[in-house]
Amino acid sequence: MRAVGGAGTAVGSVARPLRMARGTRLSGWVALYTMSILAALVLSGILVEATGSDWRPVVSALLDGSVRRPGRWGETLATAAPLLVVALGTVISSKAGLVNIGQEGQLYVGAAIGAYFGFLIGGPGPVNVALILIVGAAGGGLWAGIAAGLRYWRGVPEVLSTLLLVTVGGQAVAYGLRWEWLLLAPEGRRGNRNQVSEQLATDNRLPRPDLFGNELPLTVFFSVVLTVIVAFALSRTVWGFRLRMLGRNPRAAQRSGVSETRYGATALMLSGAFAGLAGAAMLTGGGFAFGNYQFVPGFSANIGWTGLLVALVAYEKPLAAIPVAVVFAGLRTGSNFVGSTGVESRITDVISGLLVLALLVPAAVMFLRDRRRARAAATERV
Amino acid sequence: MNNTELGDAGAHEADNPSVPAVQLTGISKRFGAVVACDSVDLALQRGRLHGLLGENGAGKSTLMKMLIGLVLPDSGTISIDGAAQTIHDPRTASALSIGMVHQHFSLVDALTVWENVALGDTGRLDPNATRGRIGEIAEQYGLAIEPDRRVGDLTAGLRQRVEIIKCLRRDPSIVIFDEPTSVLTPEESEQLFESLRHVVVAESRAVVLVSHKLDEVLHATDDITIMRQGRVVDQRRSVDAAAPSLARAMVGREVSLRSERAALGIHRLDDTDLDSDLTETDTGLDGNGLDGNGLDGNGLDGNGLDGNGLDGDGLDGDGLDGDGLDGDGLDGDGLDGNGLDGNGLDDTGLDGNGLDGNGLDGNDLREGSGATGDTSAPGDRDTSGTVPAVATTAPPVLRIEAAVAHGTDGLVALDEFSLEMHAGEIVGVAGVEGNGQRELSDVLSSLLVLSSGTVTVDGTPVPTGKAGAMARAGIGVIPEDRHDSGLVLDMTVAENLVLVDQSRAATRGLIDQKRLNAFAVEMIEQFNIACSGPNAPMWSVSGGNQQRVVLARELSQEPKILVAANPTRGLDIGAIEYTTRRLETAAASGVAVLLISSELEEILELSDRIIVMHTGRIAGTMARAEANFETLGLCMGGAAT
Repeated sequence: MRAVGGAGTAVGSVARPLRMARGTRLSGWVALYTMSILAALVLSGILVEATGSDWRPVVSALLDGSVRRPGRWGETLATAAPLLVVALGTVISSKAGLVNIGQEGQLYVGAAIGAYFGFLIGGPGPVNVALILIVGAAGGGLWAGIAAGLRYWRGVPEVLSTLLLVTVGGQAVAYGLRWEWLLLAPEGRRGNRNQVSEQLATDNRLPRPDLFGNELPLTVFFSVVLTVIVAFALSRTVWGFRLRMLGRNPRAAQRSGVSETRYGATALMLSGAFAGLAGAAMLTGGGFAFGNYQFVPGFSANIGWTGLLVALVAYEKPLAAIPVAVVFAGLRTGSNFVGSTGVESRITDVISGLLVLALLVPAAVMFLRDRRRARAAATERV
Repeated sequence: MNNTELGDAGAHEADNPSVPAVQLTGISKRFGAVVACDSVDLALQRGRLHGLLGENGAGKSTLMKMLIGLVLPDSGTISIDGAAQTIHDPRTASALSIGMVHQHFSLVDALTVWENVALGDTGRLDPNATRGRIGEIAEQYGLAIEPDRRVGDLTAGLRQRVEIIKCLRRDPSIVIFDEPTSVLTPEESEQLFESLRHVVVAESRAVVLVSHKLDEVLHATDDITIMRQGRVVDQRRSVDAAAPSLARAMVGREVSLRSERAALGIHRLDDTDLDSDLTETDTGLDGNGLDGNGLDGNGLDGNGLDGNGLDGDGLDGDGLDGDGLDGDGLDGDGLDGNGLDGNGLDDTGLDGNGLDGNGLDGNDLREGSGATGDTSAPGDRDTSGTVPAVATTAPPVLRIEAAVAHGTDGLVALDEFSLEMHAGEIVGVAGVEGNGQRELSDVLSSLLVLSSGTVTVDGTPVPTGKAGAMARAGIGVIPEDRHDSGLVLDMTVAENLVLVDQSRAATRGLIDQKRLNAFAVEMIEQFNIACSGPNAPMWSVSGGNQQRVVLARELSQEPKILVAANPTRGLDIGAIEYTTRRLETAAASGVAVLLISSELEEILELSDRIIVMHTGRIAGTMARAEANFETLGLCMGGAAT
């Protein structure tokens, strides 16, 4: 009585994320990117000049903060690692035709659950690190699993549920940070903050080996290995094949034996698991920007949102996500330095926003062009 | 003569038949390469109900959309009450007092009846006035409805009532009904036509009834215009029209016929031949019986009426009781004599089963009713000559029992549908589109769950709607729209060739690129697929070659059953030939082929047995030898139900 792959499918295919346009040549892409980034830079320059500052020191500060100053490119790569992991998860769900936009929440919840079990069990060093990572991934996966359940049992579009679960997750974790039996550190070990978890013991942290004066947490290496694995799984395994089939044509997949419920739910939960893993890696990998081995309010620090953008710009290509993640991380670490040039902090926010837009515009242009062509083709067929 | 008093029923110039309410002259509209309307002329008179008949895609809806401003004509003129008008948008149309009741409802489920009726009004909402107006209309036209019911709770018939009230409330002088009965039960249709009649005659409005249902157009309308492929092919008064000739005009037969079918006695009839006789059927016809024309060389040449057919008994006075076999009845189309026998146009006579291969033996004709089609009688095979005998005693390879399925609109699409197929036979499924064919193919593709009923392949029940179950059971599908469920355009040709079964290119869950390539190359050669190689993206391949990829994949799975839904649609001549040949080869090798097609040509050319679907049921079953355009056309129009 019900058509298989009903309303939810329609939503999925309409909201299909941006992806590499058909038959567009590389030169076209390079030109588009050059143009849009130049435009963003020119706009930023005008903005800086108009507010009474000089644009040259701003650019200089951006470069200083992201790569030039000692230790900064290590910082950038350490930021890129969780971005990359989040993006990988997003690529998986997008391949299955799902639009997961709740990575921020999945990451936050995953990290919180990882922290909870890490402190609860507190086993010997490396074992506990592994435990935190695994439990963190499981937590993120389960959080996304709520959206998957809603999608496949009740037909709630995952676009909505994943997004709204970000807020729910935020509140749930905030609750955890209020009670000592959950996440809150005992009195006296909170420093001057009142909503903070304990700090991970030194042997419960991922090592940060020093490389040419840059601290590189192991998460950087792990994320690259993970990227290769995901790229392989998607392109070379039967599972990846079937997942892509589902994403590109759910009806053909249904006829060919790819159960939308099974594969789709798996993909969405995997996507959440990657976000949760990224959160757990931020916790164990440390870094001043990520709470310094402590779980704190706002721990996710927009890594989930930015990771989603990385996946969008990388057009569902895992390997392409590596450089994109580095660029986004560089924008982030670099803009921390721009404040020191005397440019108003709101202006630096606008500038990094413009640069992110510049990275997204080519994809949007291609998407619109594709759609226009498809529509034209469809009209001709009528 | 510019009638500015639009919308005022009293101002209609109903008494002046020389000025039609609507005059379309030379209207043409193209969509890309497709000509939707090709210099169409049409005049609508006040006080008359005009039927616009044609198959799907004949251009009926496009034409009507131009009248209400949803589509702009490329050329031609539209005159309303004698004054040329340009109808840019629906608002202009409504100012000209033209209203349309759409086939697909444009109602908001969550709102009540009166809220829906008031939708689109400007200014302040006056619930009581709206309710009052609904009551007036309801009384006036017998369209009773409760204004405060929620539309979502109403039946399809009542919803349509709301649509009609919405339209009539503005008191349009020209009303278009687009396939109004497609969602209605027969009783609801009856009621609708009653009120339609009132709308037309009592208030002298000009009403168009767009439909592809023969009998309803024939019964309900005053004038009929038949469109085919964007052209008006015939215009006549309903009283002068007869179902068979309308069916032929609607379906069209300007197509080259293959020799086999010529041998079956199917060839051209002039449209006018049958009319006079048929309209008189009720009164017992002209009693000419077997006059000279009837059995002239023309009529009895084909294999159709060979020796055993018209034996002595058959031609005795009783058997051919006058009306049955008059001249036209037995010419070329001879074997549809069932259609024209004594019962000619009444319902039982036209069930399409009339004359089986043994058809014209005395008994059948003496009884004057179409013999119920004993399609498995050996006689059929004899007359067709080319069909290999199928062992009907063997268990069926596919059995569908009492299948009930609902379409996406929630309406019943398959209604207690049952079908059995044997290995090696080609069963053609004819019917006007939208009568359950799509859903039948979807069920067999695991895309639709049956509400009740079973599908059994080789004696094993197959769960419906379970991903891949049908494919695993051995049902191959060439879907109606290959882009819908047949191909993944964003994947490569090679990948599309293993879409259903990756095992031939994978070991332990990993795709073996070499084996995949080798298989693809083999298929590309074997099926002559023109593409730049196995890794060519599917979207880069032309339509005909995309179809070859589907064919290659489905046939390489060695299916027991092959569902081919409009397999040649949109293909060029070469590809059509190729696909057709492949289907024949598949059947010859023992595959049971279910050919669902809106092309009667194709059905007649390939099928051993033909079923006609109407409103989700089988309206008729006939052997190839019995079938022709006319019997099929009648059956498709639901004349037999």
